[in-house]
Amino acid sequence: MRGVVALRLAGMMIKPTGVSKATVALPVVAFAVATAMLLIVVGGASEIFRWTGADVDKYRSLAVVAVVLLVVPIVTLASSAARLSARRRDDRLAILRLLGARPALVTAVTVLESTAYAAAGAILGVALYGASLPLVGFIELRGAPLGASALWVGPVAAAGIVAAVAAVSCISSLVGIRGVVVSPLGVKLRTTAPRVRWGRLVVGAVVVVVAILVMNSIDRGGGFIVIAAVMAGVLGALLLVLSLVGPLVVRLVAVAEARFASSPVRLLAARKILDDPKGTWRAVGGVALTSFIAVVGGVAASLSAVEGQGDALLLAADIQTGVVMTLVISFVAVGCSVGVNQAAEILDRRQISISLDKLGVPRSVMERARYRAVLMPLAIASLAPAGVGVLLLLPQAGATLVTSPQSLVTIAVGIVGGIAIVALALLATRPVAASVFRDERTDA
Amino acid sequence: MTSIDIRARGLVKRYGQTTALDHVDFAASPGESVAIMGASGSGKTTLLHSLAGIVLPDEGSILVGEPSSVVELTEMSESDRSEWRRTRFGFVFQQGMLIPELTALENVALPLMLGGRSRRDSFASASTLFGPLRIDGLQSKRIGQLSGGQAQRVAIARAQVTGASVIFADEPTGALDSATSKEVLSALLESTTGQGRTLVIVTHDPEVGARCDRVVHIVDGTLLATEPGDRVVATGRA
Repeated sequence: MRGVVALRLAGMMIKPTGVSKATVALPVVAFAVATAMLLIVVGGASEIFRWTGADVDKYRSLAVVAVVLLVVPIVTLASSAARLSARRRDDRLAILRLLGARPALVTAVTVLESTAYAAAGAILGVALYGASLPLVGFIELRGAPLGASALWVGPVAAAGIVAAVAAVSCISSLVGIRGVVVSPLGVKLRTTAPRVRWGRLVVGAVVVVVAILVMNSIDRGGGFIVIAAVMAGVLGALLLVLSLVGPLVVRLVAVAEARFASSPVRLLAARKILDDPKGTWRAVGGVALTSFIAVVGGVAASLSAVEGQGDALLLAADIQTGVVMTLVISFVAVGCSVGVNQAAEILDRRQISISLDKLGVPRSVMERARYRAVLMPLAIASLAPAGVGVLLLLPQAGATLVTSPQSLVTIAVGIVGGIAIVALALLATRPVAASVFRDERTDA
Repeated sequence: MTSIDIRARGLVKRYGQTTALDHVDFAASPGESVAIMGASGSGKTTLLHSLAGIVLPDEGSILVGEPSSVVELTEMSESDRSEWRRTRFGFVFQQGMLIPELTALENVALPLMLGGRSRRDSFASASTLFGPLRIDGLQSKRIGQLSGGQAQRVAIARAQVTGASVIFADEPTGALDSATSKEVLSALLESTTGQGRTLVIVTHDPEVGARCDRVVHIVDGTLLATEPGDRVVATGRA
C-alpha cells in the first residue's frame, strides 16, 4: 500500500517547474554522459578481449587497467547526479512532511524519483553512445581504426548498463538524502564540519604493505587471469589509499590557506574545502590515479619506443593512445561531476548568496571563491600524483625522458587540458548562479 | 562614521500586475530608529530593499548622504550601489544569513577584507565588536555551533564593522523566542541608534515597533500612518 502511495506521489512530483527544470536537466544529462562513456569503455575493452595474436595478454591487461581507472570517475559522476536529483526535491519533501508523511515515505519518493531520472538519462546515454560510435571508431589501435561496429556492446550489455546506472543512482540517492534532515519546516543541511581522521594515514600505509605482500605472494606464471587479478587488485588498493589520504592532503593544504589567506576569495575557498574535505576529494579524486598511471604508462611507452621495433613500437603507440583516451574520459567525467555538484551547491546556498549580494559582496568574489574551491583540490589531485610518478621514474628513465620527451609532453598537455575541461564545466554553471540572483530580484 | 540622511519621494515599484509600492514617501534622520510594519505582502520588504539600493524603484527618488553631499541612489550603477551597501550600509536578516563554513570572527571581518583592509587589521577590528555585543569567546566558533541569538549578534557585529551609518534590518528577531528577541533587539538598538547610526527595521512584532522612535504602517504598498513607537502597543497596530 505504501509502495503505491510512494509511486503516486513520485508521479505527481516528477513534473518540473521553474528553477527545478535545470535541476532535472542537469542530472539527466550527467547520467547520459556517464552511461555513454561507460558503454564506450566497456565496448573498447570487450573488443580488445576478442583479439587474438601477438601481445594479446598485454593489451588485455592494459584494458583491465583502463576499465578500473575509469570506473571510479564515471561512478562518481553517476552518484553526483543522483545526489543532486535527490537533494533538489527539498521544498516539496518538506511539504510532504508538513502533510504528515513519514520519513520512510519521503525517502521512498525521493529514491523512486531520482532512479526514474537516472533510467531516463541512461537510456539517453545509450543513444548518445550509438551516435558517437562512428567518431570513436576512428581511434587507431594495432595500426588500424577500431571501427564503430567493433565498439558496439550489444543490446543485452547496453540494457545491463542502464540497469546498473539506475542501481547506482538508487543507492546514491539513499546516501544523499541521509545528508539532510527533512523536517516539516524545511530541509536543514549539516552545520558542523566533519573531521578527517589521522588514522587514515595508518590505514593507507597498511593497505600499501598488504598490497605489496599480496603481489609478491602470487605466482607470476599463473597466466593472464592471475596477472589481471593482481593488477586490478593493486589498482584497487591504490584507489583505496588515495581515497583515504586524498581528503587529508586537501584538508592540510586548506588549513594552511585558511590560516594565512590574505584575500576574501582565498579565505572563502579554503573554508569551503574545509567544510567537506571528503566530498571535495570525492568530486575531483577520480583523476588522481589516472594522472599517476598516465605518467607511468607514458614513460613506459617512451622506453618501448626508444628500445623496441615492430610490434613493440606498435604497442608503445597504442599505450600512448590508451593513456590519452583514459585521461580525457576521466577528466570529462570529473568535469561533468563538478558541473553537477556545483549546480547543486549553488541552489543549496542560494539564500546565503542572495544575502551576501544584498550586503554588497561582489558576485565576482563569490564566483572566484567557488572556482578556487574546486580547482585547487583538482590541481592537487592531478599534478601531485603526476609529479610523484615523474620522480619515481627519473632514476630509470631520466635519460630517455630527456632524449625522447614526446610522451611526457603529451601526458602533460593531457593533464593541463583536463584541468581546462573542469574549468569550462565550472564556467558552464554561471547561468545557474545568475538565475539565483535574477529570481530573487523578481521575487523581492 | 558619517551621518547619513535618507529621503525617499514618490516610490513606485511594480512586479507584473502587482504594485508593491504605490507613491511612498519615507525619511529617516541620523540616530533615528524607524520601524516599517505591515502584513505579509504589504510591500515593507520591497520598501527596505529600495531604500538600501537592492532593488530599483520604477518611479521616485531616493536621496542619501550627508547633508553637504547628497546622492541620488536610483541613478547609481549596480556596482556603485553595491559598493554603497558594502561601505555605508549594514544589514541584519531574519536568519542571520552568515556564511556557515566561516568562523564567527571571519564572518564579521569579511566586509573589511572585501574593502581592501589587511587580514590582521580586519580581524583585529572585528574582534573589538564581540565584547560590547556580549559574544566574546565565540570568535572561533562556526555558525552552526551558535544559538539563534548568538548568531544574530554576530550578524549585528558584521553589519556595523565597516562603520556603516545606516543599518537595515529585515525581521531580525522573527526567528527568535520572546526573551532572546528582546535581548537581540536591545543589542541592535545599543549598537545603532546608541552610537548615532540610523536603524530602519522591518517587523511584524508590535513590541519591536514600540521600542523604535517612529513606526510607519504600510498597507498594499501605500504608507498609511506614522506614529511614535511608544503608541504602537497601545493601539495594537501590526
